Amino acid sequence: MSLRDPFATFGLPPRFDVNLPELERVHRELSRAVHPDRVASSAGRKDAVERAMEVNEAFRVLRDPVKRAEALFQLRGIEVGETNEPKPPPDFLMEVLEQRESLAEARATKDEARVSALESAMRDAQKNAEARLTAALLPGASADTAKAEIGALGELRFYRRFLEEVSAIHDELLG
Amino acid sequence: MAYSDKVIEHTENPRNVGTLDKADPSVGTGLVGAPACGDVMRLQIKVGAGGVIEDAKFKTFGCGSAIASSSLATEWIKGKTIDEAETIKNVDIVNELNLPPVKIHCSVLAEDAIKSAIADYRAKQAARAQAK
Repeated sequence: MSLRDPFATFGLPPRFDVNLPELERVHRELSRAVHPDRVASSAGRKDAVERAMEVNEAFRVLRDPVKRAEALFQLRGIEVGETNEPKPPPDFLMEVLEQRESLAEARATKDEARVSALESAMRDAQKNAEARLTAALLPGASADTAKAEIGALGELRFYRRFLEEVSAIHDELLG
Repeated sequence: MAYSDKVIEHTENPRNVGTLDKADPSVGTGLVGAPACGDVMRLQIKVGAGGVIEDAKFKTFGCGSAIASSSLATEWIKGKTIDEAETIKNVDIVNELNLPPVKIHCSVLAEDAIKSAIADYRAKQAARAQAK
């Protein structure tokens, strides 16, 4: 895994709450500037290819909230990933399981309104976790401050999975 | 990625899906989650005389391998004592289901679920013994 700072690549402050249109604008600019077709010499082209890869990799990290949070933890020397992070607390897992059960019921009964209600509750929970990450991962926030909220990163992955399921159900009920 | 026949079989006909009464003192509930993929798994055991697992139920929200791993786990632990059930290792599940390397964490989840159900049952028993 590369330890290159994706925020530095984009010239953006290392914050969790990035501005997505701004991110896309910088990506377009950087991609144009480093496009290998713009370089004449073969040595220069090799550099440009590497630089283009760096830009794309940074974009892949920065636009994904989970990867972005992981990068901000890693920049503080905090390891992430399933075996490095604390196990989700039982109360949280119980809640997720109950929500998944409700979602499965709503799917079986084709209850679109209930699916939407569950979706909106989950989006609120996701926003709450994102707000906690924003506060804990501000530029200058210490590793200890960040680590106190690493649980919010774990939560985010469960919310994402739930919302993927929701969008699959919406497609199914529409189709 | 292709699932093995055994995984498909368990996914299509999962054994012991359901719920046991969480409040029952003879029931242990294990709840585990895999943050990497957002899977959640609940495994429950009903323990009778001599510490024998009389019944086991599970509910898993996750991929086919996670469902198959928990389905197989409940099949295996029924009729065993909790001490025997505790010795089940995730590699046993991997071998039985031919799980590919990327799905090994599903079997780890099932092993953790068994252990967490047993721990919950023991904690309940200890609390009751103390209350007496």
